[in-house]
Amino acid sequence: MFRFTLAFAALLALGLPAAAQDKPTLTIYTYDSFAAEWGPGPQLKTGFEATCSCTVEYVTAEDAISALRRVQLEGATTNADAVVGLDTFIAGEARATGLFAPHGLTLDLAMDWTDPDFVPFDLGYFAFVYNKETTPTPPASFEELIALPDDFKIVVMDPRSSTPGLGLVVWIKEAYGDRAAEIWRGLKPHILTMSRGWSEGYGLFLSGEADMALSYTSSPAYHIVAENDQRYAAAEFTEGHGEQVEVSGILKSSPHQDLARQFLAYMASPEGQKTLPTTNWMYPVIDLGADLPAAFGPQPAKVLPVDEATVTAERNAWIEEALAAIR
Amino acid sequence: MPRSAESAIPPRPLRLIAGAAIAIAIAVLIGTLFWSILGAATGTASGARTDIGYLIYITTLQASLSTVLSLMVGVALAWALNRLRFPGRGLIIGLFASAIVTPGIIVAFGLLAVWGRAGWLGGLNVPIFGLGGVVAAHIILDAAFAARVLLARLDAIPETRLKTGQSLALPAWTRFRVSDWPAMRGTLRGLAAIIFLLAFTSFPIVLLLGGGPSVQTLEVAIYSAVRLDFDLVTAVQLALIQIAICAAIIVASAAFGQISSSLDRPTSPRWRDAGGARALQWIVLILALLGFASPLVAVLLNGIEGLGDMLVRPAFWRATLTSLGVGAASAVLTLILGLTIAAARAASSSRLGRIAIGVPSYAYLAVPAVALALGAFIFVRNLGVPPDTVAPIVVIAANALLSLPFVMATLAPPFDAIARSRGKLIRSLDLGGVRQFTAIEWPLLARDVGLVLALAFCFSLGDLGVIALFDTKDFVTLPLLMVRALGAYRTNDAGTIAALMLVITIVAFTALPALFERLSRARA
Repeated sequence: MFRFTLAFAALLALGLPAAAQDKPTLTIYTYDSFAAEWGPGPQLKTGFEATCSCTVEYVTAEDAISALRRVQLEGATTNADAVVGLDTFIAGEARATGLFAPHGLTLDLAMDWTDPDFVPFDLGYFAFVYNKETTPTPPASFEELIALPDDFKIVVMDPRSSTPGLGLVVWIKEAYGDRAAEIWRGLKPHILTMSRGWSEGYGLFLSGEADMALSYTSSPAYHIVAENDQRYAAAEFTEGHGEQVEVSGILKSSPHQDLARQFLAYMASPEGQKTLPTTNWMYPVIDLGADLPAAFGPQPAKVLPVDEATVTAERNAWIEEALAAIR
Repeated sequence: MPRSAESAIPPRPLRLIAGAAIAIAIAVLIGTLFWSILGAATGTASGARTDIGYLIYITTLQASLSTVLSLMVGVALAWALNRLRFPGRGLIIGLFASAIVTPGIIVAFGLLAVWGRAGWLGGLNVPIFGLGGVVAAHIILDAAFAARVLLARLDAIPETRLKTGQSLALPAWTRFRVSDWPAMRGTLRGLAAIIFLLAFTSFPIVLLLGGGPSVQTLEVAIYSAVRLDFDLVTAVQLALIQIAICAAIIVASAAFGQISSSLDRPTSPRWRDAGGARALQWIVLILALLGFASPLVAVLLNGIEGLGDMLVRPAFWRATLTSLGVGAASAVLTLILGLTIAAARAASSSRLGRIAIGVPSYAYLAVPAVALALGAFIFVRNLGVPPDTVAPIVVIAANALLSLPFVMATLAPPFDAIARSRGKLIRSLDLGGVRQFTAIEWPLLARDVGLVLALAFCFSLGDLGVIALFDTKDFVTLPLLMVRALGAYRTNDAGTIAALMLVITIVAFTALPALFERLSRARA
């Protein structure tokens, strides 16, 4: 027991920041899986530190929304220089806090981007992922899915606790507008469960409990590239697919705004972008050409753009509508 | 309760003061956390709200079902385990007890590996999603734990009583009624309170197996108010509703009359029940093995595949070391708090005093993890301390407080029993508080202390609630590493970590109680 305690104390000592260094430290608030061993964080840190004569330090929260909440709680006294990993669903709220500074960057992206505050670094499209062996003919739309027998099961995530869960609510609303509640009612018999987070829900699907799980069109690329497993594919829906763009912002209160700006620019540069597809398993925001693994395939034929202002204003009403329809 | 018995309790003012101080400190701490959250609330009202009334109804229903069924199964299993002797019994008892401290999500996936449509028994088409699945998962988590604690009480039935019963050739049912039931009754109330709280505040497991919004939990609304709406006032209101419901259950369970349990060193009874009862005991045991052990065995088997890769990873060893450190630190802290409160509670002769000392130790379990983490974060910041540096301390303290109810359920009944059955002896020998502990209490409690240490250690080892929500940075424990693996598509890695956590847990539960019992015998 005592030895454990000693080892533990030693461990704590290691965790403390090294005493007074000359190099500035760029503190980045982000979500846990971004900074984790397998995520893009470590590679981006190494790559950026090689050029900036600074130290990058990640401070993680459970997810991006929680990272934003932390900045809000800390207000102007926050240690954060930048928040990485916000998305189109909360960008409006983040902007409204008035804590973020314009990024001031001229970006050369493979997408239209006019946002003065937030810089995109990757994007994904919500989709249902299926196993080609067990589901040879996947549904090609929500209506086809609804028409399948009730024992065709899907796993979705709770919109109140999960970003893909919220993404599905927005996706259906964008695709069907006033008919959204009807679509949800149709989906009800197929919904095996509504998991708390993406990991558990996708885990249910991988263990064979459901025929499809809500995820991203880029999910099969993970199985192909990292596991050499060709069985998984994303069902392309004719209504189009909901989109999630991940963005970063610089905090007004930061004494290292220039450094933060450089980091955001680095993330959007070819070098930074190259690390993202195979660590975050999302699409790059610039054209990577041959550097994007072929497993990523073409982007969906039809993409439903997210209107930030509407999502910010209507989000809770949409969640209520969806939950009420399947209760 | 005859008054003469109460007056036999030796006066222990220091114990009372120490216990009351801790109880007050816990109550103040919870109050401070909520106050901190309210202080940080900016007063933004959120928009539409999910039907809170329905969430309260379904959560209460689910928690009540889970509690009643878990206790019934737990009593039956403890009864069977107390009577039966077979090779590997110790290991099976350890395996059963380990369920409650294993992250619920691991147990849920184990359950699916057995009963799910792609599971070993998938052909049976057992409906595992919905209210039934949630309650089944809670029974697996809680009933085996209840059985473990109840078994300790049955094992402590004095040998003289057993010999008397045996000489009277009591039939199995009469034996249960006059000997077993009184020994277990005192513990049932504490267990009921714990199981209700666990089931009421269960979050990922309910969403994973609930099958959609018709079976959910109030915690999802609280979590959503904090995270999605950042509506801290609503979050605190909902958390207070949850605490009020849970507190009503705890106080109700504590308010029943005092029941004293019998107490002696564990014996190996050689009194077997007659044929029919014995057959029933074997059936109970086999069913329990199939039901409880199979999901855990599934977890272990799923984890073997990636074992080699995992053991060479430095990140894994760092996380293991951190987890063991957190577990050991909070186990010791929990034990100190638990012993102090249980001793104080046993030293108080007024019912109100006992409730006032005992109830706060349960209250912490009723606080939603998200409120806990948020409150701690704001509180620490208000003190001017950077939250990153105190994360380990917060996690250790929070885990100690979360394990405290389990410690109370395990230690409070035997402490009471000692005060009542040995009170006169202690007074007549004029023993001081310290001597009372070393000469009387410790030898009788040592095995329970081992169990309590194992519980608190493993509970912290497997904790996901506090660690996942409080800012952690480089402070990575095994469950957090598992969640990260799961979040990065690495299901196999996650499975291996889950299996290794389960192994550590089973070892702790098998070794620690035995070790402490040996220690006490060596000293006695």
